[in-house]
Amino acid sequence: MNVVHIHSKGQTSYGESRLQTRPGNGSHSAGQAQGDGQPLTGADDNTRFANLVLPHLGDAYSLARWLTANRADAEDVVQDACLRAFRAIASCAGGNPRAWLLTIVRHSAYNWLKKNRPAALVSVEDLEAAENAQVNPGDPEIETPESALIAKTDAAHLEAAIAELPTAFRETLVLRDVQGLDYREIAEVTGVPVGTVMSRLARARRRLIAKLGRSAS
Amino acid sequence: MTRSTFDDDPTLLVHAYLDGELDPVNALAFERRLATDPRLSAEYDRIESLQRLIRERLPREAPPPALRARIEAAVRPPRRRVQPSWRALAASIVLTAFVTGGSTWLALAPRPADVVENGIMAGHIRSLMAPQPIDIASSDRHTVKPWFNGRIPQAPRVVDLAKDGFPLVGGRLDVVARRPVPTLVYSHAKHLISLTAVPASDSGKAMPIARTIEGYNLVRWSEGGIVYWAVSDMSASDLERFAELFRTAPADQ
Repeated sequence: MNVVHIHSKGQTSYGESRLQTRPGNGSHSAGQAQGDGQPLTGADDNTRFANLVLPHLGDAYSLARWLTANRADAEDVVQDACLRAFRAIASCAGGNPRAWLLTIVRHSAYNWLKKNRPAALVSVEDLEAAENAQVNPGDPEIETPESALIAKTDAAHLEAAIAELPTAFRETLVLRDVQGLDYREIAEVTGVPVGTVMSRLARARRRLIAKLGRSAS
Repeated sequence: MTRSTFDDDPTLLVHAYLDGELDPVNALAFERRLATDPRLSAEYDRIESLQRLIRERLPREAPPPALRARIEAAVRPPRRRVQPSWRALAASIVLTAFVTGGSTWLALAPRPADVVENGIMAGHIRSLMAPQPIDIASSDRHTVKPWFNGRIPQAPRVVDLAKDGFPLVGGRLDVVARRPVPTLVYSHAKHLISLTAVPASDSGKAMPIARTIEGYNLVRWSEGGIVYWAVSDMSASDLERFAELFRTAPADQ
């Protein structure tokens, strides 16, 4: 039994919610995130696409670039994802188009990885197994550098250290710390429970911190 | 006491706390624990430094403009819409007028609040698509506020929230319900917030209420005859924190 509740967000609607009042139970579906919002446009697919998908192109490209580690491939992945999104635009309820698009981008990127970098995906399953087998979620062998040391890292080292993270950890960290999604959105995009998001995020950050500490010293 | 993942590894709490994912009760309990546990506070410092490092130093890359153009071309409808003939157009107008009564028109007319809300959302979305989200670019509120003078009857309240992680980017004029209104643009971790100040019909004070529309988070509150609308694609908790900071910031000197 979990004593700590994750604050439930994205479920707010007028009249029902005040700021910072509800401890959520984190178990409801993200699909009801909105419901009563007036659609901004007509049902025209191109207008919906322009309103729902195009504003999030930057986030889509960023996620694709972090997953494929390559600009040209990221462009292909984003284009593929956008065409899928366009074909499915009628099914986008409008609750959270950014998370919806990122889910499609991730799916396209994984298809691309499967074809071109299968090693990146095999290691995900290994990590998953290791994660489940591990009793203590902490990584005791990881060193813990001072925060001042971390702050001195330059951009190139930081970028390289993130790129070296295993895919499952890297995508979780990027979605949270680069793109600012909350835990429930990340769970939606990556298709895992919030608890897994939390443990992956913690591992990703710990690995990164240890790596930055080593390269700085 | 109940056992939980957090008891096995209390450092997980640090992540959830820094990510704004703890509800107020647990956040408070965590803060108390943080003050007395050096192991936790060391972890807190490290993760916070890492988050700041990523926020401030990791290079961001916009998608190449050619990619956007390619995608837009790929989804464009294959054939141009045929212009309706005058005869068909006239016939359809007559038919429409015949079929629909005045009451249908009334039911379709949007409520006033929706008009404002749609205007606010449209302004924000348009600003994200435009080359520049702002008409006046400055992080100095003493530059942004005077810019509005002479353009609209009342310059908005502008506060400096840079030290709280929400630097001012600039301002622009939006048109909401056919009226020009001032919008301030703040940024946070590469996300933009449009804060629009719409003159209200009464001087009532209303606490912030949040909602999500088409994936954008929106927080609305009113004070001193102004309804403030904050829109952003950042997480709801960050936007609510922004609203709280703006509301409680000291008045202009």
